[in-house]
Amino acid sequence: MKPLEIVDVGFAYEDGTVALRNLSLSIGSGEKVAVIGPNGAGKSTLLHLIAGFRTPFSGQVVIEGRKLDDSNADDLRRHVGLLFQDPDDQIFMPTVEEDVAFGPRNLGLDDIEGRVARAMKGSAVEHLAKRKPHRLSYGMKKRVAIAGILAMDPAILLLDEPTSGLDPRSRADLIRLLKGMDRTMLIATHDLEAAAEIADRAIVLNIGRLMEGTMREVVMAGDLMQDAGLELPPISKLFRVLESMGYPVDDLPASLDQAVEQLTRVMDRTGKHAHAHIHEHVHNGLEHDHEHPKATAVGHQPRDEK
Amino acid sequence: MTFANIGSHGGDGLDEYAGDVWFGKLDARAKLVGIFTFVVISAVLTNMELVLISLTVALALLVASRLPLTHIAKMYMAAVPFILFASVSVFLFSGWERGIEMWMRTSACVLPLLVLAAGTETFDLFAGLRRLRVPAVITTLLMLTQRYILLLSEELSRMTTARRARGFKGARNLTDRYGLKVLAFTAGMVLVRSFQRADDIYEGLKCKGFDKEMTPWRRSSIAINDVLLATGLAAVAAVLLTVQLGVIA
Repeated sequence: MKPLEIVDVGFAYEDGTVALRNLSLSIGSGEKVAVIGPNGAGKSTLLHLIAGFRTPFSGQVVIEGRKLDDSNADDLRRHVGLLFQDPDDQIFMPTVEEDVAFGPRNLGLDDIEGRVARAMKGSAVEHLAKRKPHRLSYGMKKRVAIAGILAMDPAILLLDEPTSGLDPRSRADLIRLLKGMDRTMLIATHDLEAAAEIADRAIVLNIGRLMEGTMREVVMAGDLMQDAGLELPPISKLFRVLESMGYPVDDLPASLDQAVEQLTRVMDRTGKHAHAHIHEHVHNGLEHDHEHPKATAVGHQPRDEK
Repeated sequence: MTFANIGSHGGDGLDEYAGDVWFGKLDARAKLVGIFTFVVISAVLTNMELVLISLTVALALLVASRLPLTHIAKMYMAAVPFILFASVSVFLFSGWERGIEMWMRTSACVLPLLVLAAGTETFDLFAGLRRLRVPAVITTLLMLTQRYILLLSEELSRMTTARRARGFKGARNLTDRYGLKVLAFTAGMVLVRSFQRADDIYEGLKCKGFDKEMTPWRRSSIAINDVLLATGLAAVAAVLLTVQLGVIA
């Protein structure tokens, strides 16, 4: 039994705006799937629909083998943990540990103490236990919100734009955290690099499903990306330029990790190697003397090996 | 001048000093019992000397609490129109002595309540009420009301900043039709945005299995300081009452 199956789902808002059309999706246990698409593509609507907040809808949403409908939405919601885009919308209690305990206590779960400790450790917020959530940074609030969800031990995590509004460091920390979690996840994002880092596969959504595949396959589908109103990540653009200059690119990397992997693969294949090249020089008018150190690290293919 | 609209979430102006002073660390139940007993008794005093004593006790509590006096003064200023209204009304019908007595009596009631509000975290205050057997529906409503008021003020603050960032200086007077129109639109937008955020918060609560009650997980216990405060205030109130009733001359 898969934790989540969506069959031919459609949803329109009261004013007639169609948000989702004929969407089908299936997520296996432990799988991390990214839903990518531009603003207004229906990503958040999909997550809120799965959490039972957008009814009525056409088609079927099956969570843990049970079909979602109005009558069982409250009950099924305990199997899905929805992380809101704005963490302030889901933090309620005066201290971090109180907030993490809030969900399990409401659901009448056992071992609250253990759950809270594990969830805070899993989200790396155990040192903030007694702090006031509203005085934390935005990135830390996101982590607290994640801890609050983890404490309820849901079968599926639904993450709505988890990296939005974060500074680069907090973003990198959060990506590392989510990447390391052994959980079933559905991540709605337009941060393609983050999606490439975290997710096993991706769905390109723009009201309906445009494509499904790995993030590498998604970024390789240039026209489709353009149709969906998505921009290639900078690292993918760089490799596209390299490709046009004759560099052997097997497939476009969508993240820095994938780019490193790609470079390593190419160098292994061609028997080349990379090393750090450090030299000293200074630009002083038209004269060049070697006074001040400057270091550069480059992937280098020695001429003698060509 | 150009302003950047920097959203601030969940400001805690009301609880700004509660965590910094000894009074804030006392158990909310003890503070509630002690201060409410004192306030109720102070409100029924009619003897000028006794009213003066109760006001002195209220001022002593204020000073002892170590809360910033300017902060309390600002809060007190908000109550001044009501205190003045009551005092002036009494003065007009019963003379200046009764008017001053009314001012002192209301101040003796308001000041301890301000100390309680400023010196206790709002959540602790409502949680304390719940632990004193106030029905859950009331305490949860109070907690949610406070949450939504904060939300409304956040949205208002954002809209005000955004308006100023675009050069709007406010309605100059009641004949400034354009200015009033902008203010009316702002009020409408604040309500619409707050409604949307309120909806999100409601969904956030549902996601955490919220049913009907918000209570703290970690429960505080009554310590000797709590007992001393509650019994001290209750004892002063009892003495004032017995003198007022003529039991003690």
